[in-house]
Amino acid sequence: MFINFFYTLKEVGISISPTSFLTLQKALSNGLISTLDDFYTTARAILVKSERYFDLYDQVFAHHFKGVELPDYESMELDEIAKAMLDQWLKDPKELADALGIDESQMKNLTPDELVEYFKERLKDQKERHEGGNKWIGTGGTSPVGNSGHHPGGMRIGGVSRNKSAVKVAGERRYKDYSGDAPLTNASIGEALKRLRNLVPSGPKDNINIDKSIYQTVKNGGEIEIEFDRSLKDRLKVHLMIDNGGWSMDPFIPVVQTLFDYSRAQFKDLRTYFFHNTLYEKVWQDPRRYNKEQLVDEFIRFDSETRFIFVGDASMAPHELMTMNGSIYAFETSGKPSFERLMYIADNFPHSVWLNPVPKHLWNYTQTISTISSIFEMFPLSLDGLEAAVAHLIKK
Amino acid sequence: MSTNQSNEDFVGANKYILDSELAQIVNVSMKLEMPLLLKGEPGTGKTMLAHAIAENLKMPLIVLNVKSSMKLIETLYQYDTLTRLNDSRFGDSTRNVSDINDYLKMGKIGQAFTADQKVVLLIDEIDKADTDFQDDMLDVLDQMQFDIIEVDRTVTTKHRPIFIITSNAKKDLSDPFLGRCNFHHIAFPDPKMMRKIIDVHFPDIDTKLAENAIEQFYKLREIESIEKRPATRELINWIRALNSDPDFQGGDIIKKEVPFLGVLFKKSHDFARVSNSAKRTRSY
Repeated sequence: MFINFFYTLKEVGISISPTSFLTLQKALSNGLISTLDDFYTTARAILVKSERYFDLYDQVFAHHFKGVELPDYESMELDEIAKAMLDQWLKDPKELADALGIDESQMKNLTPDELVEYFKERLKDQKERHEGGNKWIGTGGTSPVGNSGHHPGGMRIGGVSRNKSAVKVAGERRYKDYSGDAPLTNASIGEALKRLRNLVPSGPKDNINIDKSIYQTVKNGGEIEIEFDRSLKDRLKVHLMIDNGGWSMDPFIPVVQTLFDYSRAQFKDLRTYFFHNTLYEKVWQDPRRYNKEQLVDEFIRFDSETRFIFVGDASMAPHELMTMNGSIYAFETSGKPSFERLMYIADNFPHSVWLNPVPKHLWNYTQTISTISSIFEMFPLSLDGLEAAVAHLIKK
Repeated sequence: MSTNQSNEDFVGANKYILDSELAQIVNVSMKLEMPLLLKGEPGTGKTMLAHAIAENLKMPLIVLNVKSSMKLIETLYQYDTLTRLNDSRFGDSTRNVSDINDYLKMGKIGQAFTADQKVVLLIDEIDKADTDFQDDMLDVLDQMQFDIIEVDRTVTTKHRPIFIITSNAKKDLSDPFLGRCNFHHIAFPDPKMMRKIIDVHFPDIDTKLAENAIEQFYKLREIESIEKRPATRELINWIRALNSDPDFQGGDIIKKEVPFLGVLFKKSHDFARVSNSAKRTRSY
């Protein structure tokens, strides 16, 4: 019974095991459920194991039993862009008119909906990556909707930024998966990272070593001698945060890749997240920063002993770090300046480091590097830097 | 609430206000013999629920307070090598040194398994322990038995205990562990529910005082960047303090200032922040 219900729940992304579904059947056949309300609470308790999914569950339940429409998740991304556009439109109609390549007065005749439609249509029409040309959204063309075009102030649609500070990026999805099997070029990084694992026993001396105690006692002629060992604590949880956005990190990606390949095998629990320049509301688990997002606020769910290792050049325009809604992503408007997010991580996870591929003697020339290094211990992404970082990470 | 109300159903207890949703979940979990995992903010009555069930069903309650360094084996049984070593050296105890069973002590889970009647076993704040703890517990939950390695004996449950497991809302538990439990998230009570809770604790409280206190309480909870927001326990203590002080009879005064702030906010950082914001609103 309710097999469709089960599959709809699975489809919207709630992780449900078949076992729990069987448990629900058991509850049904035992007569524990007599009303729809009973079913609602019981099924939720049995199937859904986190309050994060309660809302989704409610939606599916309403859809299934009361025929309420499920929100269309496919179109959500475009809607995000549309929303950002509207914001922009309210702020500066001229700029947007320029960006869309219509006359400002012409644009005034369009309703917001029509405007968004116009933009969406252009996005949809385009099947392939577009370079040059004068109509479609792409890169390097003369159409004002796009990136690196001739149009000053055009909205950025992905692509490589020519200046170090991109003004607005929307829809950038070009980075390849880094995971896997790239040739190891810099074995020494692996060596240094291994030190993370060779943690010295850190627990208190509170484990009684029975064998040693008996040996010592016998040696002592029967006088009891108790030997203690340190309890082992070698379970490092590491969150690797990689800045993989923007060309400014591009030259360092092979190095980061090496580090990444090594570290994957090194730890009991290693999670990798990707971000662009600095932390905003979310980070991503996939290098394209598109599918699996993770709210930065939710990191608090993890053990405070978790080590956060940031890898990034920490170079950006100061406003990206310091102002509210400073993100170069148009639709990222979470209302908190990025440096507060960084402090939040630093406060909650005292064992955090920032590895910076920029040579140390250049750090003082970039304002944001100084700011970030006042939040996190910053080390250069070199063998020496890593050693120092490792030493910092295992410090109590 | 299910209609086939038998006397084994859980219907709430003396000082515990139970919503029907939770009652249904508790009863289903008992019937299915599955552990019930409760999450929710501190002070939403997770721990109290176990006490209430035990009281209501007249079963003994065994509480296991999980600590961060805890290993599962400690909660099952302990083999006291040191005492045995000591006894073998001095030989002045009544224990039989050659009988290892004299040196085995049951831990909390062990006690629940070997108890002569059905018990409620509360495993409180399981998220405090390492994930290993949860993983190790999976087997125990599945099999309802464990081995005592030293004597090669298997302890099986005489009466399957009612497991209530609580976890802080902030931390995630491992998926396989979650798979074996029923889950419920207790939301923070809304003001109406809170009023009922207060009435249970203070049957003859002045209506106005209670209402004003609750209103102020929810306002204080909304102040931003508070590390530990006051919960039900704090409110009850606060009202107790207000109630005992004749100055605050009627409770009109609470609207303007917050007396006994220290009862509600325990962290010095929070305390400072709240008293600042209270000052600010007053100066307007």
